[in-house]
Amino acid sequence: MSGGQSLNRKKQTGQTRKLAIAPYLFILPNLLIFGVFIVIPSLLGLYYSFHVYDGLNPMKFNGLGNYIKIIGDKEFWSTIGRTGIYAAIVVPLIYAVALGIAMLLAREIRMRGFFRAIFYWPTMISFIIVGLTWKWIFGDSFGILNHMLSVIGVEPVGFLTSPFWANAAVIIATVWSRAGFFMVIFIAGLQAIPTDYYEAARLDGATGIKVFRHITLPLLKPTSLLVFMLALIDAFKAFPLMFALTGGGPGKETTYIVQYIYEIGFTKQELGLASAMSVMLFVIIGGFSALQFRMSKGGAV
Amino acid sequence: MKRRTNLKLSLSLVLIMTLIMLTACGNAGTNTGNTGKTDSSGGAEKATLDFLWFSDGNEGEVIKGIIKDYEQSNANVKINLIEVGFKDLQTKLKTMISGGKPPALSRITDTGSFANQAVDLTPYVDSAEQFEGQFIDSLKPYYVINDKLVAAPMDVTANGLIYNKTLFDKAGVKVPTSPDDVWTWDEYTAALKEVMAKGGARYGMVWDVTPHRWSTLLYQNGGSILTEDGKAAAINSEAGIRTMDMFKQLHKDGIMPESVWLGGENPNNLFRSGTVAAHWAGNWMISNYKDITDFEWGVTYMPKGTQRSSVPGGKFLMAFKDSGNEKEAAEFIKYLTSKEVNSKYNQESLFMSPRQDSAVLDYSFGKEMYQVFSDELKNTSPLAANDWSRQTIISKISTDLKNNIIEVLSDKATSKEAMDKTAKLINEAIANQ
Repeated sequence: MSGGQSLNRKKQTGQTRKLAIAPYLFILPNLLIFGVFIVIPSLLGLYYSFHVYDGLNPMKFNGLGNYIKIIGDKEFWSTIGRTGIYAAIVVPLIYAVALGIAMLLAREIRMRGFFRAIFYWPTMISFIIVGLTWKWIFGDSFGILNHMLSVIGVEPVGFLTSPFWANAAVIIATVWSRAGFFMVIFIAGLQAIPTDYYEAARLDGATGIKVFRHITLPLLKPTSLLVFMLALIDAFKAFPLMFALTGGGPGKETTYIVQYIYEIGFTKQELGLASAMSVMLFVIIGGFSALQFRMSKGGAV
Repeated sequence: MKRRTNLKLSLSLVLIMTLIMLTACGNAGTNTGNTGKTDSSGGAEKATLDFLWFSDGNEGEVIKGIIKDYEQSNANVKINLIEVGFKDLQTKLKTMISGGKPPALSRITDTGSFANQAVDLTPYVDSAEQFEGQFIDSLKPYYVINDKLVAAPMDVTANGLIYNKTLFDKAGVKVPTSPDDVWTWDEYTAALKEVMAKGGARYGMVWDVTPHRWSTLLYQNGGSILTEDGKAAAINSEAGIRTMDMFKQLHKDGIMPESVWLGGENPNNLFRSGTVAAHWAGNWMISNYKDITDFEWGVTYMPKGTQRSSVPGGKFLMAFKDSGNEKEAAEFIKYLTSKEVNSKYNQESLFMSPRQDSAVLDYSFGKEMYQVFSDELKNTSPLAANDWSRQTIISKISTDLKNNIIEVLSDKATSKEAMDKTAKLINEAIANQ
């Protein structure tokens, strides 16, 4: 009997071991993709960042030369500043709009699925198309908005030639294209709040705003943090939308950091310098992620 | 038991997926190579030449016909045309070269950046001097770099003035009809203002957002981007600053819309809308505007500043080292640049031939317009080709130049500040060469 038991145990551990390998095998394809398309290029980028390299002629080792150059590059820092201001405006806006829509659509209303789909739909369109679509609306001579203004006898507005309006256009387009994605996260967060809390609050005679302030908002804290951080990282990585909508203009008014890196790398062909800038951007974004990790106490959201 | 079967099934699936991925990657690696020298039919050795190509108009179709002809008379060669967008060509080419699989050939504008990777065609032509003598002189610095024949011209381009004939006629404004009566800049802007006032044009002119097109005015004012020897910046000269002032004034006076240089609006679309009197563009726009039916348009002579000038440009053919088919590529380049084939290519594509002996082709459309463009080229400052053929410097500063021009237009810098700033960057680019 005892012999049989030990055999059984052996069989079990063998099976456990097999089971222990299984998850690793399952993530193998993803790991491969991650390695080939993310890790290796990132390491290559890091390597390039210490070199002078134009993509064709032999690389020349440059030590920290590229980094020193960036520290003295006024344009780089003003672009970072511009990106920061853009993020400071766009992140709270996305937050508010996404939460607002989510609050409306988390409730039992008629055609809820339809409305959710409508708000989610823009997130499925590529940023280039979003940019081109809004250009069609805001365009100076051929834009729908200016056409409508002319119909009611108002002088056309230089939406894409005035710095104020160009920035506004970029922000509006960003919020339009991203809010739906965060709405979904908020809906999930809202639905995780037990309904008893609301019932208890209602019994205590709490009104809408009070309920929102004292129940919804505090219980949504982990979700809020996630949305906030993801939107912030998104903002720092923003590029294709404005590239298509304003081309970074007028002047450099809507040129954010990724476009600047793109121009250094592909127009000026200074791939080493552009790589060093990417490494710095990675550090900035990595900083935000670390902050999020700490604030959410170990990544639990 | 069932659980175990499930596990086995899942594991097999994962393994299959991984295998598929790995083989897919492997295949991608071997397919792009052009080492396949043997004919699949088992016949004689066949060289497969990858040929990187972009199209502005219908020239892609024209080259396909020429390739077909060539393959028929050269059974040992197969040409594999790889078509990409103009904007993607450089990236694609770089990827192919740095990945160790350069194409045999490429159509190219930026000869300077790739000169080190190019096959020197000198050993393949009878005499370099004779070969170069076939083409117009101003193109030479583009394809002869460090005494090497790094490319061969396919077509030549010129900047010029396309105008809306219907609007000019409506305003009763005459355009110059011969090189002897070209406008001065003052006469020209006065003419545009009249077309705006009497002809109902919303804007006098639009101008492509590129430093290349902008520099037309610089050369007309007797200026240049670099000094003649290419060793220093010259853009912040009196002529450079005056050019910037004039360009800004055109915007201030409402002759040019801000939406193009500041708002990124497409000048082609504006001209096509029939509300703009003139478009400063290149000869390639003739084939682009061919289908306009709402109004009549034409080409006239650009005004002169202290002198007349256009800016030459061109597209070239380059063969690459280590493609394994250097000889075959050079032979094909010789074929494409021969009088007969080059004339056929340019005539059918509605392009201008770079050959001295094919200045006037029998175009099916706009023959007289090409004569104007060709006259602009004849009267072009040599400094224009001198600047724009130094692609290694120009490609590094052209975005900055564009941005600095825009800074002046948006009142963020004076003309002098912007040109000084650009000059500093140019000198840095020269020093870092």
